[in-house]
Amino acid sequence: MSSSNYLSISDILVTNEKVPCKFLLDLPKMGFLDPSAAENDLKAGTNIEIPLWLAESLYTRRPPLVSVDLPKIYKETYREILNADACTVDMHKLGQHFYELGCYIAKHDIKSEVSATLLNTYRQRFKMILSATVSTDSINSVQPLSASERERTKSAVVTERALSSWLKIGDCPLTTASMIANHRKRKRAEMELS
Amino acid sequence: MFGEKVIELLKEAERNRETIDLYNDEKIRQIIQEMHVLFKMNMSDANATTENKTLWTTVQVRHSALERNKRCLLAYLYNRMIKIKTLRWEFGSVLPPDVRELLSDSEYDWFSKYSTNLATYMRSLGEDIGYSGIDLTENLRPPKSLYIEVLCITDYGKLELEDGDVITLKKNSRHFLPTSECQTLIRQGVLKQII
Repeated sequence: MSSSNYLSISDILVTNEKVPCKFLLDLPKMGFLDPSAAENDLKAGTNIEIPLWLAESLYTRRPPLVSVDLPKIYKETYREILNADACTVDMHKLGQHFYELGCYIAKHDIKSEVSATLLNTYRQRFKMILSATVSTDSINSVQPLSASERERTKSAVVTERALSSWLKIGDCPLTTASMIANHRKRKRAEMELS
Repeated sequence: MFGEKVIELLKEAERNRETIDLYNDEKIRQIIQEMHVLFKMNMSDANATTENKTLWTTVQVRHSALERNKRCLLAYLYNRMIKIKTLRWEFGSVLPPDVRELLSDSEYDWFSKYSTNLATYMRSLGEDIGYSGIDLTENLRPPKSLYIEVLCITDYGKLELEDGDVITLKKNSRHFLPTSECQTLIRQGVLKQII
């Protein structure tokens, strides 16, 4: 776990996502981790889903207590879908923290195809997000985004608006004119109200 | 499952990023209680590992949970601290009572100390060139003109200007004021600039 993210709430939420794990050793009294088991102890070889933070910390013990498996959205089938056309994927449903979780998961992937998929997915979707933010009304027409994508889109829209208003103020006579017009409009509205 | 209460706590904080919530005393107490229980179980199991070697795995799982809870609690407090810092810059050194009651006692202590520190620093600015301090919370944007027209949004009361005039700020009243005197009030949402 990188220490620079130690106090970041979003990293904490990412590490709260569940990942499938296989326990390599017996765990006495930890039967409650597996909801389908009635026993008090957790046997070696049990496959269950545990939060990433627990998996990471048990994986780094010497000897490791668990081996981490890929969550299904990073498996072959989903990788094929993402590599075919990532822009059509509903990222909100697929994984709120697709990229961030992927970065943690990538090191458990022996063939290291996950990291390539992450990069490829981001490249494809970045173009879509970028073109959506430049025009004001198409933002709702793109496929639902993941949490970090939404964040990035929001700041892109704000920046875009700030830039265009800055560019307009450079255009002095027109702005003054339209501002006076707006002012008059407001005055008229106020007069009508009173 | 471990660490679920603490996640609820953080999700609450994450939903409301722009504003500060009530300090969740009750939930934090519950979490610390959970940590005490885990710690005690670990103590007794750790002592028992001499007879039963397999118990050490369980101890490690609980230890991870303890570390996780600690991390989440620290993150909660840290993120609140950042927000409290912002409060000082936006509301000024005196918090309105409805904001004040959202902070815990130690948080309010921290706020007062931060506020004093900041004030001392701002007073010390420019001493060497003959100024008696600069208010850094003013002029966050370069002022465009000396006077601006403002609309009063709330019933604020009397305001004494630098030249000695006293004006009454009533709801929906309009004023033509020096920018330097009203920008703090604009930031506080008492006045609104009319363009």
